[in-house]
Amino acid sequence: MSNIDRRTLVKGSLAMMAGAAFSRAALAQSAEPILLGVSGPLTGPNAQYGAQWKQGFDLALDEIMAAGGINGRKLAYQFEDSQSDPRQSVAIAQKFVSDPRIVMELGDFSSPASMAASPIYQRGGLVQFGFTNSHPDFTKGGDFMWSTSVSQADEQPLLASYAVRRLGLKKLAVLHLNTDWGRTSRDHFVKAAKEYGAEIAVTEGYIAEERDFRSTLVRVRDASPDGLILISYYSDGALIARQARQVGLKQTICAASSVYSPKFIELGGEAVEDVHLGTRYFPQDPRPEVRKFIEGFKAKYGGQEPDAFNAYSYDAMNMAAAVVKIGGTDRRAIRDAFAKVKDVSSVIFGQATFDVESRRVKGAMNAELVVRKGQFALWDGKPT
Amino acid sequence: MSSWLDYTINGLIVGNVYALVAVGLALIFGVSRLINFAQGSIYLVGAYIGWVAVVQLHTPLPLTIIVVAVAAAIVGLIIERFGLRPLQNSVRIAPLLATIGISFVLDQLVMLTFSPNPRALPSQLPDVRFQLGGGTIGPLDLLIAGVGLTSALLLFVFLRYSKLGWAVRAASQDRDAAMQMGVDVNRVNQAVFGIAAALGGVSGMLVGMYYNQIDTAMSLQATLKGVVAEVVGGAGNVPGAVIGSLLLGLVESYGVAVFGTSYRNLFAFLLLVVVLVLRPNGLFASARQAPPEPLTGTFIAPSRPVRIPRWALAVAAGGFAVLPLFPVSFYVLQTLINAWLLGMLALSLTLVAGTIGQVSLGHAALLAIGAYTSALLSLTFSVPAGLAIIGGGLMSAALGTALISPSFRLRGHYVSIATLAIGEIVSLVILNWEGVTRGPIGISGIPPLSLFGYDLISPTSIYWFSFAVMVVLALLQGRLLTSHLGRSFRAIRDDDVAARAYGLSLNRYKSLAFIFGGFAAGVSGGIAAHLYSYINHETFNTQQSILALTVVILGGLGNVVGAIVGSVALVGLPEVFRIAAEYRILIYGIVLLLLVRFRPQGLLGTI
Repeated sequence: MSNIDRRTLVKGSLAMMAGAAFSRAALAQSAEPILLGVSGPLTGPNAQYGAQWKQGFDLALDEIMAAGGINGRKLAYQFEDSQSDPRQSVAIAQKFVSDPRIVMELGDFSSPASMAASPIYQRGGLVQFGFTNSHPDFTKGGDFMWSTSVSQADEQPLLASYAVRRLGLKKLAVLHLNTDWGRTSRDHFVKAAKEYGAEIAVTEGYIAEERDFRSTLVRVRDASPDGLILISYYSDGALIARQARQVGLKQTICAASSVYSPKFIELGGEAVEDVHLGTRYFPQDPRPEVRKFIEGFKAKYGGQEPDAFNAYSYDAMNMAAAVVKIGGTDRRAIRDAFAKVKDVSSVIFGQATFDVESRRVKGAMNAELVVRKGQFALWDGKPT
Repeated sequence: MSSWLDYTINGLIVGNVYALVAVGLALIFGVSRLINFAQGSIYLVGAYIGWVAVVQLHTPLPLTIIVVAVAAAIVGLIIERFGLRPLQNSVRIAPLLATIGISFVLDQLVMLTFSPNPRALPSQLPDVRFQLGGGTIGPLDLLIAGVGLTSALLLFVFLRYSKLGWAVRAASQDRDAAMQMGVDVNRVNQAVFGIAAALGGVSGMLVGMYYNQIDTAMSLQATLKGVVAEVVGGAGNVPGAVIGSLLLGLVESYGVAVFGTSYRNLFAFLLLVVVLVLRPNGLFASARQAPPEPLTGTFIAPSRPVRIPRWALAVAAGGFAVLPLFPVSFYVLQTLINAWLLGMLALSLTLVAGTIGQVSLGHAALLAIGAYTSALLSLTFSVPAGLAIIGGGLMSAALGTALISPSFRLRGHYVSIATLAIGEIVSLVILNWEGVTRGPIGISGIPPLSLFGYDLISPTSIYWFSFAVMVVLALLQGRLLTSHLGRSFRAIRDDDVAARAYGLSLNRYKSLAFIFGGFAAGVSGGIAAHLYSYINHETFNTQQSILALTVVILGGLGNVVGAIVGSVALVGLPEVFRIAAEYRILIYGIVLLLLVRFRPQGLLGTI
């Protein structure tokens, strides 16, 4: 208690000195938190992802504040609901650009909403930090677009290696979400799997609202693959796994890291038992940054296990803090700071450093998991 | 060969699931001639009540079904009493808008109560599987089939043999005559809504158990598929709805079999359009059946429009034109740019829906056609943005009119359903025609707006550009409405038989309206494409179409100034409510409902 009091005292007197030396405005400014703008879905069809972002952000902010904030100042975010609708995300972009308190922006969720807003951020000179934007053209919007989204050119060869080299699957059926993410992922996966010597029996793209996959699975069955690859989110991934077992497909299922969520097991039940998935971290991961994240998350949210989207937003907030620590509150300096941050502790990358050329981070961590007895566990190398 | 058996079985299984929603929709349509867009929301509410019962209260299955049915029926009765009955004597289109508003409110309430995360809804039936063809079916498949068929059969018997059933049918054939014969029409409506809602709730719960998954996005999809199935079977025909659902399931399944998964919904909506064009009353309508829509246009009732003096309009336009000269934030300008873009779409729709009476629910397709044309022209052929946008408008006018022309013979609700389907078809073609549209990856790097070689990139210049385009389109449309063409349009809307007797060629005038409207919408889409720099098949979705229709009804059908006022209101309100974060769409839905309730002819009235 007295410790904190002393710190406040020091801060207060420093502020007074600063106030005497500079101006009243400077005093008011340093008492205000450093504000980040977040544009993302809180309502509408993607609302669940916005809710997950918030959980990750809030946990990271708690830790940042406990460690003394940004050089003594508070860090905070202003979340504006875009419903992942480009019409609203462009209005939000103008709102953030013309609000001098906002030092950088995070989001949006979907590609149409994010990339429609990019020209406004680029021209307005405000960093758009898209931490779930895997669209290959996202960072091509300009030098104010940065992303920590794992590039699918990195992730999919890892999954292909797991399926083909480690699990020994030779003839694959690929089911993918027919979105920009699913489509790009599929292309990278197919390329890598072929390089590793597997044959692609069939690929099927489905729309996000689809719930019935029985007929698709008949097509899969008729192609007689020895493995199913799911490039899905957890809810559709669970649906496919359930229906695959119901129509009698017993092949090994291997899924992209985006299904990594306790919800996948809750929704899939027994059908997702023995599903293999490549992820960026796992529950028993000994890395200190992962232990801190998982334990902190469970303590804050009543024992709930974090999932992939929680991890992305947690990492994003930590990255934002690291950047602001270097760049201060000047928008251009913040853009330049992205090129300067080195080895920021990260759940997804271990240590994250931007590749200045592509404005993305390379070298995501890799863990090969399998669902065993309703839990995600590190794969022990035993066949299923 | 055995695969075809499996495709057939799978088609019937999923058709079974659609039937549960379609039967409820058919019942309501049969009596009140209303497409109940809130049916999907009741289905959602049922699913979540089922979750509470199963997971929190651990009720056994029969009790769960009763709890869900009763609770959903109560929701249905509340909707009927407070949402729809007050609108009985107002414009026919008001209840349609009210159901859209109710569905917003219900979906949001569920989302706020239960969070948007999907939940597992475990089935309470024993987990045994029966081998059937190459796959298996479980007890839940049989239960769903049982509920669907039994409810259809019970409803059929009820409508045919019970006294209340006769009253329902009498009311559906001729409301006024039924009232004169002493039928308590309100009681009939109550009964129908209660039954349909109970069925909707139970089906949401069963489908949730079937997939072991419920989430707040299931509502709109359920409504869409249910409407398709119902109309294929013959709107208002309960056994027809069941057969229509099974047929829809089969067509989808065979579509997947032949062309692949991403073509699935394309076949569903193509089936709908083909059935509507060939047999507008549905596959199972008898020849003796009375036409489902009245012969003359009571769909849109005339009202006395608010007359705004010209000088006031000129002052308002001048005020908006000089607005950027004052110190307003770019955020306000951007919001107004959005309003002007929506305004162009609304001008288009108010002409098509209001002036000539073809209520379109797929108008976003015209935006998409204009946007893709303009984007591809400027990227592939380096056409300057200004010309490319005009190209987008022309393409939208031509293609839009060609696509809609087979459904010119339809009336009332059927036009809405056909346009809804055409809108979905356009979006799915964009998704699948990768050689031209680049499929799900979308088109990125679209050059910014430019005019005579000058880039328009500051919000101020974009504001002036979009405002000027909208004002020009509005002036043209105003001129059109006062010409003989406008009078012919309205004559067709108000009484197409009389108009034809007078020598007006219906198809020609409808085409003219769609050409003009398609141009305005295409231009709006083109500008949006250059503004966003990136578009894909999701940029212009069904929600945009519904928003446009809301704007038009809110402003007053056919009313040019109303369309613009409505756009400013519906773009502005959600921005004003930003402060309410998660609650803003709920508030928006409630405001919408209040407006429909107290001003069903729109803010400025129908012209």
